[in-house]
Amino acid sequence: MTELELRDLRKTYRSRGRPPVTAVRGLDLTLRSGELLGLLGPSGCGKSTTLRMIAGLETVTDGDILVAGKSVTALPAQARNIGVAFENYALYPPLTVAENLAFGLRARRGGDRREVAGKVADMAARVDLTPLLDSHPATLSSGQKQRVCLARALIREPDVLLLDEPLSHLDAAQRDTTRRELKRIQRDLGHTTILVTHDQEEALSLADRIAVMRDGVIQQLGTPYEIYDSPANLFVADFVGEPAINLLPAVADEDAHARLSGSVRVALPVPVPPGREIVVGIRPEDLSLTGAEGLPARVVAHEPLLEAGIATLALAGVERPLVVLTGPEVRLSHDEAVRVTADARLTHVFDAETGDSLR
Amino acid sequence: MTVRKRLLGVLADAALILYFVFALFPIAWMVILSLKPANQLFSTYFSFTPTLGSYRTVLGDSEGIPFVRFFVNSLVVSVGAVALSLLVGLPAAYASARWRFKGSENLMFTLLSFRFAPELTVIIPLFVLYQKLGLFDTYVGMIWVLQLVTLPLIVWIMRSYFADLTPELEQAALLDGYTRKQAFFKVALPLVKPGVAAVSLLAFIFAWNNFVFPLILTSNEAQTVTVGALSFLGGDRPKYNLTAAAALVSVVPPLLLALTIQRYLVRGLSFGAVKS
Repeated sequence: MTELELRDLRKTYRSRGRPPVTAVRGLDLTLRSGELLGLLGPSGCGKSTTLRMIAGLETVTDGDILVAGKSVTALPAQARNIGVAFENYALYPPLTVAENLAFGLRARRGGDRREVAGKVADMAARVDLTPLLDSHPATLSSGQKQRVCLARALIREPDVLLLDEPLSHLDAAQRDTTRRELKRIQRDLGHTTILVTHDQEEALSLADRIAVMRDGVIQQLGTPYEIYDSPANLFVADFVGEPAINLLPAVADEDAHARLSGSVRVALPVPVPPGREIVVGIRPEDLSLTGAEGLPARVVAHEPLLEAGIATLALAGVERPLVVLTGPEVRLSHDEAVRVTADARLTHVFDAETGDSLR
Repeated sequence: MTVRKRLLGVLADAALILYFVFALFPIAWMVILSLKPANQLFSTYFSFTPTLGSYRTVLGDSEGIPFVRFFVNSLVVSVGAVALSLLVGLPAAYASARWRFKGSENLMFTLLSFRFAPELTVIIPLFVLYQKLGLFDTYVGMIWVLQLVTLPLIVWIMRSYFADLTPELEQAALLDGYTRKQAFFKVALPLVKPGVAAVSLLAFIFAWNNFVFPLILTSNEAQTVTVGALSFLGGDRPKYNLTAAAALVSVVPPLLLALTIQRYLVRGLSFGAVKS
């Protein structure tokens, strides 16, 4: 259907008497037709600004936005044909669901009544809203509102669909079902989609590719597995993964090892010149307490969470605690002595100064 | 316990009655005054022959004072002032709620300062200006000067109504292909209707009750009821009964208006507090 391309996109906010704030600095992104890209980052990283620039709700300081190969940068929002599902749904309270859906259609083609009604019924069926067409937004659950919001964005058959934190206001149960729905609808209709979120779970589960963003710059672009398996730098490693990755300052040692403290050494996946300051990253799920070998540690705390447990360990002479994901059968008591092993192949190494991955 | 409770209840009732008398006595006095015949005006006892003569005189244009015209003037000037303020103030309120532009806060503060500066501070230069511009004692002049009263009120209150609306509603409309103007008229404005009703009533009441501007800036043609009612006190003998009747008649329009749009008023005044 439609390709979306961002070329060196920049946004700087200037207000008198204050230093200019740059929200987005040189974004290059190309979305294949029908692709769902997750724009993931903490609040203030520029992801929402990017979304608003694509939609035309924010002016572009520099760079270009191309939809299907044509620049839309100079066009106002009305002329871009981009659908946005807003975080707060933006449903019009006095109108029913059906009227809300029709409202969007009426703007362009003054509105042939029968055609509009047909499209509304069609879209409602697609997103399972048919029984709710006569309800008012205030009476709907958050999940239903989200579906109406999505339907409202889709009914105009936009070239590009933008989703702004679509699941953030849903409770856990609705999140799961809505997430599946969202994925199904997006697949069915095949819209090129950008999903903006600060929630890694949302991005990992929905997106074909993820762009992790910080301070207006894309840190890494890749499939969810690439992002998780080989984070490009400390920020990406730390931001993606729950519980968060263990990041331990260390010094590179002989034969591809890192020295965490006087006596504690861990194996690295690649050799690093000895003496270099590095940060070793090990995901809690890549650590194991079952081996007889391994590093001696003491249990600081253990949270049994039924399907898994989270153990916090202290390594001798190492300041940072080590978090380990344990199996459901593991029982640990405070101050217990354990041995913890890490798989060198799954261990990450970063330069302490630049934060870049050394793998 | 029950005795004490009952005693407290009685005391509370007594206090309420006391307050009731305190609050209503001036109005009751005015009503009595307006019903008294002229020769019994200064009697202090309550037995008198009630008469509607004062009302007849006031509304019948006798005594050389065209009170009915003052009444119509008040209506024209107040309604005109509110209408003009809405026309100018609603877009202004919307703009100031949605966009910060150079000097926007200063502009808003200047507007507000019209409300807290006493009218007397500007009335003499205004009087001279109006004389020279030919606005003295005209509808246009009165409607214009009353903008000092109604416009700040409408802009400031409506601004907070618009600020409470999430901008995404209008942005969604823009993305659908509506123009900015349509987004304002079709999306934002209908949602603040209760606010418009409430603030229009308040503005109308303030305009209707204004005294200083018509006192100095009108003489006859555009004079309003607040000043007109007092003209019965002039002449060789102050006619308190006529003043009372005129004052009571002039209470009617704001009262009627308040009663008819009370429904909107309650909703309108509480609307801003509840964010959707």
